[in-house]
Amino acid sequence: MAHLHIENLQVGYGNKLILKNINLAVEQGEMIALLGPSGCGKTTLLNALCGFIPVSQGDIFVANRAISKRPAEKRNITMVFQSYALWPHMTVAQNIGYGLKVQKMKHADITTRVTELLKIVKLEGLENDRVTALSGGQRQRVALARALAIRPDVLVLDEPLSNLDAKVRLSVRHEIKALQKQLGFTSLIVTHDQEEALVMADRIAVLNHGTIEQIGTPEDIYHRPKTPFVADFMGADNHLTWPIQNAAITLNINPTITQAEIYFRSENALVSTRPPATNVDVNPSNMGLLIEGPVEQSVFFGNNYQISVRCGTHTIQANHDQHLPEHTPVLLRVPTDALHIFATEAGNSAPQHSLSPLSNQ
Amino acid sequence: MRRTTSHFLWLIAPAALMVGIFFLYPLCFSLYSAVTLDSGELTLAHLNKAFELYSKDIIFTILIVLICVAILAVLSITIAGIITLSPFRTLSKTLGFLYRLPLFIPFIVTAQMMRTFLAKNGLMNNTFIASGLLTPMETVSFLGWSGIIITFVWKQLAFSTLLIAGAMAALDDSQIRAARNLGASRWRILLQIILPQIAPTIGVAMVLSTVTIMSVLSVPLMIGTGTPTMMTADMAFRINSYGDYHVANALGLVSYSICAVLAWFYLRQNLKEKGAQS
Repeated sequence: MAHLHIENLQVGYGNKLILKNINLAVEQGEMIALLGPSGCGKTTLLNALCGFIPVSQGDIFVANRAISKRPAEKRNITMVFQSYALWPHMTVAQNIGYGLKVQKMKHADITTRVTELLKIVKLEGLENDRVTALSGGQRQRVALARALAIRPDVLVLDEPLSNLDAKVRLSVRHEIKALQKQLGFTSLIVTHDQEEALVMADRIAVLNHGTIEQIGTPEDIYHRPKTPFVADFMGADNHLTWPIQNAAITLNINPTITQAEIYFRSENALVSTRPPATNVDVNPSNMGLLIEGPVEQSVFFGNNYQISVRCGTHTIQANHDQHLPEHTPVLLRVPTDALHIFATEAGNSAPQHSLSPLSNQ
Repeated sequence: MRRTTSHFLWLIAPAALMVGIFFLYPLCFSLYSAVTLDSGELTLAHLNKAFELYSKDIIFTILIVLICVAILAVLSITIAGIITLSPFRTLSKTLGFLYRLPLFIPFIVTAQMMRTFLAKNGLMNNTFIASGLLTPMETVSFLGWSGIIITFVWKQLAFSTLLIAGAMAALDDSQIRAARNLGASRWRILLQIILPQIAPTIGVAMVLSTVTIMSVLSVPLMIGTGTPTMMTADMAFRINSYGDYHVANALGLVSYSICAVLAWFYLRQNLKEKGAQS
């Protein structure tokens, strides 16, 4: 059995079911990201894991011990909170050492452990400072050190970076990941930021409406989404419903598929302004989608321009290195492997993907 | 600019007038009356007389206040702690509803209610007798100092719990959760995480309760047994029986001074804490 094993978990408030049939296995030393939009139940899952809310059905095992009936204080699972949740009347050292004091550890041992943790989170010399005098990044490091001090079986992080500004977020993100590799703690991190999940996690579980839609490595989730929701949430910003009427569009896929939801990322749509006839290198094995249409809008995005192209009733987004005036006719080409196609005919809802490599990226 | 200033003056004038007429003037008059003769000369004779005749009652008042405040602090912290930390939501909700009730009952009604409840042949003893716990010979009257304390605590508990439970509810819930998943029991969380953070509110609740208890006349008159009694009863007696406003005001001065000492302690502590935070 995995280090943390969640089996058929159901959690609800009153009559409302928030989490349905959650199954998750986290190996020792692994970091799993729970990714999903607001209200999908990811924080509820952490709260149920920590014992802050009761479980209606199912079980949670940590190191083969069932813990779902235990109170929060007896679970040895610690949380790093979005709001840091530091105690303002205590110093940095008192905050970090609190869990050890509760465990009745000797004063000298607490001091040693706190010093060790301060070094790990790079806050040496601040032990006697009030936490209210620290910056956001420093506070989050204190919260991390406090949660790690008691050597928890599982560490859970509830959107730990969302209160930090962009620059600090990148450095703290890197530090948490480096610490996790160095200390090897088992952890679950909740985030709604897909980039954060991709960078930090060993595996990602995408949640939607209280269920896990897909669980897999970041590469799996990114390149091979199993549901339209996962594709959409992982940044496939273009969505087409096949077939499309009144549009110059060619789709080279399995001919048995007559109805489908198609997703792809704007960066995978290659824009060319040359007429289609002279548009060479159309490799039939790799060109999944060809769309002709006029430019509706061209917006500067820093390192490129985002082009909006009309395609029947749809608007397709694509990236291009130059500004294109409105109404310019363009050809968009999307490689087969960059398409996420979900057949919608009855009895055939499995995603269809090309097996060829991404040659055009 | 001048026009704006005059607008502001008009805005605060009604409130300032009310404070002046109904608070500042009686206060100054009372202080003046406590230290002057009818002829207007300064004297300490009224204060001396007040201490001579009523020093026992002054000590009695201080003791009653201290005991009430101590019991109030313990009870209101306990109730607020249960409301905030109890895993039994029905218990928290019931307590949350019940503790507020005395807020809406005036002191004089409370005093009358307690008189009929605590007397030797009152509701409490009759209930004990009817349930076979006591015989009529064993019953004791609680009218007297213990009755005064019970009445004040029962009445003020709602107010102090309201303030303290409010302060506890205003704390970020994740602070309590953080302590729980580090292994802290609820008792430890209350003492080490919650109380240090809401100490200023407890201070406010206790100082305001003290001032209220010191100012109530109906409870010592209706529950007390005569001697010793509280200073408010003495003041009423000096005025009603002798028309002696000077000694009554001297007792008032002592009462102000006790409250002023408390206010000074409280303000000093508050400023210290604010200074430490900034």
